[in-house]
Amino acid sequence: MRYQPIEAKPGRAKPAVKKVMTAQEAVSRFIHENTYLGMSVSAAPAALIWEIVRQKDRIKSLDLTITSQIGMSSVLIGTGLVRKLEMAYNWGGIEGEDKVFRRAAEKGIPRPIEIEEYSNFGMAMRWQAGALGIPYMPLKSMLGSDIPKYNPKIKVVDDPYTNRPVALVPACNPDVAIMHCARADEIGNVQALGLYGNSDTLARAARHVIVSVEEIVTQDEIRRFPNLTTIPYYYVDAIVHAPFGAHWRESTYYYHHDLAYGLDVYRQFGTQEGYEAWIDKYVLGTADWDDYCRLVGYDRLNRLRLSEQKYQKFGEVR
Amino acid sequence: MSKYAENYSLPELMAATVAREIRDGELAFIGVGMPLMAATVAKFTTAPNFNMMVEYGAAGPSPRRLPMCVNCAVNCERAYYTGSQREVMGAQQAGFVDVACISGAQIDRFGNLNSSVIGEYKNPKVRLAGSGGANDLASSANRTIIMMRQDGRNFVEKLDYLTSPGYLDGPGARERAGLHGGGPVAVVTTMGVYRFDAETCEMYLEKIHPGVELEKVKAAVKWDLAVSPNLEVTEPPTEEQVMIMRTLDPLAVYLGTGRATLTGDFEAFMKMFENSYQPMVDLMKSKGL
Repeated sequence: MRYQPIEAKPGRAKPAVKKVMTAQEAVSRFIHENTYLGMSVSAAPAALIWEIVRQKDRIKSLDLTITSQIGMSSVLIGTGLVRKLEMAYNWGGIEGEDKVFRRAAEKGIPRPIEIEEYSNFGMAMRWQAGALGIPYMPLKSMLGSDIPKYNPKIKVVDDPYTNRPVALVPACNPDVAIMHCARADEIGNVQALGLYGNSDTLARAARHVIVSVEEIVTQDEIRRFPNLTTIPYYYVDAIVHAPFGAHWRESTYYYHHDLAYGLDVYRQFGTQEGYEAWIDKYVLGTADWDDYCRLVGYDRLNRLRLSEQKYQKFGEVR
Repeated sequence: MSKYAENYSLPELMAATVAREIRDGELAFIGVGMPLMAATVAKFTTAPNFNMMVEYGAAGPSPRRLPMCVNCAVNCERAYYTGSQREVMGAQQAGFVDVACISGAQIDRFGNLNSSVIGEYKNPKVRLAGSGGANDLASSANRTIIMMRQDGRNFVEKLDYLTSPGYLDGPGARERAGLHGGGPVAVVTTMGVYRFDAETCEMYLEKIHPGVELEKVKAAVKWDLAVSPNLEVTEPPTEEQVMIMRTLDPLAVYLGTGRATLTGDFEAFMKMFENSYQPMVDLMKSKGL
């Protein structure tokens, strides 16, 4: 089925109704063939990405917009779901070289990928323009580099006020944004704790927003600290309860990065066969996120939580 | 000052060299890996009032365990600010960042960097990570320090792709392009330390690492490399600098073979992480931090 995106219009507020659903429901309701999908990196929406992979035969193809991603976008790229990637960075970080991305970009395995590049702030400002409902943002990055040379969407012009060069990047309004945050109430007021990258901006730019959270809390808990609300309910379509929903990555104050696991995943991603074996076991071989967590082991996940909270817990100095 | 270390690794020498570039009171934009080691050494020795900013939304963290990426939970530990990337990247564009550390796979004589592709852009021989925040920092930070491996092929006459601007094609080029940051001040590699000539903006060799021969450095640079008439040997790390790095990174995840050790070994990883608390707290206390 071809997805028909809804035209974004000012004033299109989402209602203040209960929005809690499973990842399976949220993905099947909002993500379809050729969806233009925005993905946040802080925190990584692993539970939602795993579900997209489980529904890959229905979804078939996606265009992806990211700032910088470490690992999670490549879980999608290796399935052949990604036709186009708008990005600033896609690599393994501490886990090293991203062989999934290299295979797609250099050899078209499992599918050729179109790459449209920006700097990190350049891509973030595209989401910012989208969030503000304006056509573009000016910035002082990318000037003099080859980034605009190979990406005609970036316009280097003289600013009409100072007559000095600025780079313009066009607004980005994805059909759907996915992200993982700390907590939300049932109607979709989302609070991030710790650093949250561009998840607030991305939610405002997208037409539909799916947020997985560590905890679902009461409206009164949200009202205790309303300035922690990074994404108010009127942007949000779906709340998915997914404890440990960013594993193998981190969720600040809840658990830290599982480096031993991430390094091992990257080792397996070294070949397409290794990638497929890992996906078969950990993603396609599990029914849902809880099932995945059981396979990884809740003992392991809880140990990551205890270790994180030895060093930091929200509201305390340790 | 603590005396020079007798046993140290090449990455430890590089990190200690970068630590000496950071001045007290500064605000630095730091990625993970070697720059983080340098920043920690600086904070615990010569620059106690220096603070770091981290790309995905943290400022002034004081972690007691090893940060593992720029959006790592560890970067929030005891921070003064945590929140959005827009805050930290916006502040750096507005000129609040004194110094930033960046890297690349290729560099040219004007300190321009490539971290995007080797070969043709549309048909790359090797696809690399892309800019990330490197281009932003190279554009707007007041000064940048470049840390990179020098493998004999990557100091090139012409980059395959210019990801992050140094001095572009020479004097005045940054201003003409509209770049308001100051550009690179040092390149610290596996062979030596380079600076940039104030008039020509061209890189020259200032220091050579202990035991490295000048001819080998020249052979690893594809242009006719200028060498300082007062060429010095890089100052080795002190015992204290090495101790600090090994306390934060006891398995040499960033400065050695730690990643291979930890691949798939959850117990070893958790032991490293859980046991980091007390030695780091003791170290911080001894430094009055």
